[in-house]
Amino acid sequence: MTTDERAGATASGAAAHRGLSVRGVTLSYGGAPVVRELSLDVPHGGLTMIIGPNGCGKSTLVKAMARAIKPDAGSILLDGTDLRAYRGRTVAREIALLPQSPIAPEGISVRGLVRRGRYPHHTLLRQWSPDDDTAIAFALERTGLTELAEARVSELSGGQRQRVWIAMVLAQQTELLLLDEPTTFLDVAHQYELLELCGELHREGRTVVAVLHDLNQAARFATHLVVMREGRVVAEGPPAEVMTAGMVAEVFGLPCDIVPDPRTATPMVVPHARHPAAAHGEPLPVEG
Amino acid sequence: MTATVERARGARPRGMVVIGRRLALPVSRAALLAGVGTVLALVVASVATLSMGRLGVPLSELPTALTGGAEGKTLFVLDRLRGPRLVVAIAAGAAFGISGALFQSVTRNPLGSPDVIGLGAGAGAGAAVVALKMPEGVPVSLGALIGAAAAVTLVYFSTGSGFRDPGRLIVAGIGVAAIAIAITQYVVYAVERERAIALTAYVNGSLAARSWDDAREIGLALLVLLPLTLALARRLDIGEMGDEIAAALGAEPKRTRSRAVLLSVLLSAAAISVAGPIAFIALTAPQIARRLTGGWGAHLVLSALLGSLLLVLADLAAQQLPLDDMPVGIYTMAIGGIYLGYLLTREWRRGRL
Repeated sequence: MTTDERAGATASGAAAHRGLSVRGVTLSYGGAPVVRELSLDVPHGGLTMIIGPNGCGKSTLVKAMARAIKPDAGSILLDGTDLRAYRGRTVAREIALLPQSPIAPEGISVRGLVRRGRYPHHTLLRQWSPDDDTAIAFALERTGLTELAEARVSELSGGQRQRVWIAMVLAQQTELLLLDEPTTFLDVAHQYELLELCGELHREGRTVVAVLHDLNQAARFATHLVVMREGRVVAEGPPAEVMTAGMVAEVFGLPCDIVPDPRTATPMVVPHARHPAAAHGEPLPVEG
Repeated sequence: MTATVERARGARPRGMVVIGRRLALPVSRAALLAGVGTVLALVVASVATLSMGRLGVPLSELPTALTGGAEGKTLFVLDRLRGPRLVVAIAAGAAFGISGALFQSVTRNPLGSPDVIGLGAGAGAGAAVVALKMPEGVPVSLGALIGAAAAVTLVYFSTGSGFRDPGRLIVAGIGVAAIAIAITQYVVYAVERERAIALTAYVNGSLAARSWDDAREIGLALLVLLPLTLALARRLDIGEMGDEIAAALGAEPKRTRSRAVLLSVLLSAAAISVAGPIAFIALTAPQIARRLTGGWGAHLVLSALLGSLLLVLADLAAQQLPLDDMPVGIYTMAIGGIYLGYLLTREWRRGRL
């Protein structure tokens, strides 16, 4: 579906979309807009992955969806109501965001940091709720950090630290999870572990949105793929429909073949070799 | 898994004081111990302040004297000389301590203290202008408040990046403080000598000859500002993780920051208006609080207690050391200056400057 069709569909379909929807939103950091008049319905219960070249506005969009940036124009709706009409903590009980570079307070323990994800469930005088311990235990277990709960975050490796942040977001116990490049700092095995976790959470009924750099990972795990360029959505839909050689060449400037992933049959990007003469012999014939 | 869940449900929340179903506040053991220790030290220092020296009330008479049995010389010492002075020291120290804790938390910067950014110097200049150049009746504290606010605003805009970058903050702070000191010096130079000498003591920060009026003024300020500050504590902690995550958690980072800066300026100005711009309590108290608990967060209560303790100790030194009538601010400046030097070296070594 193209952007124009999308915009037309949201304009005519007046019925409130369940979950998050973005309506004609323009976003900037005070200067030129980073995202322009963008509309998008995040499929409820889906695993949406946003891809696009650097600087295309995907991180900015995700931040705005979590109410961390105020749109210059347009609106972001949660169950049909503008995010700005809710109180901060109300939104935070529905939508969690893992930004790219969060700051771990000096000397904090893993449990202490994960506990902060419970903030939206607390009040000024009741900074603890009976569900806290269960939520924290759940978050630590799902990220494999139960053993490290009392360790200091500053003593962990980059990969472990990233898992602590994921755990904090899980402890928030929201319907919606927005993850901005969650696989950064992770080695390849942990990247797949994290993506599998996203898949599990999605199958358990949560809505997950992740910004990813790796096209093959996105195509393998997403139920819905959103492609952005220069602040606009240029394509969206199931990975099998969206991930075409033409799209990759046009959006990322990368000539490639698309072959079925031998494990999952999802589209897999195989970039063209620039100097075929330097490769070992003739390219293998592509199956199918 | 089920076992874990059941155990978790049955467990008392760790590090929490729970009263009934409505009240549950985080209190860490380390912070509690440090708090109790500080209070005890503060009591000892207060007793020493009242009983030491030629005019001191002897320890044996102190309990009766404090419970209303004071008369004659003892009454004069407690009611006029040392009582109000001690109360002002405790309250102003607490206000400085919280002011510093607020600022260091929102700037995420151990050097982000009212001292470093020229707030004290600005307040001093404002007070000097009002005290010596304005018609009588304009309260000196109003001048201190305006001066403090002007200095903070100037620093905020002249760094070009708000309070974030420690290096720029210090450079801008030095500049603004220099301007403020120049204004103060000009005013002092331009008025009669007698009033200027009185003002010099004020500009350095002094607790000599405080009255119960001063104590009431700072007490009232604390009574209003302290609850507002404590209500902000948890949001400040969340804000230390960065604006985006704080916003996503519903902690409204921008609003929290502007409120914290406002409260910090008000607390500092209130303390300055009764005690003068006493240096470095605001810088040091939160730092010590952090080290004592080894933890994170703004440590507002502990910073307040430590601020009181530091100021009472400094004023005890000012009263008892054989250097007649030295304003307490000179002591705190000497000791705090050394500490600031240490802090700068450490930050520089860590590559943060």
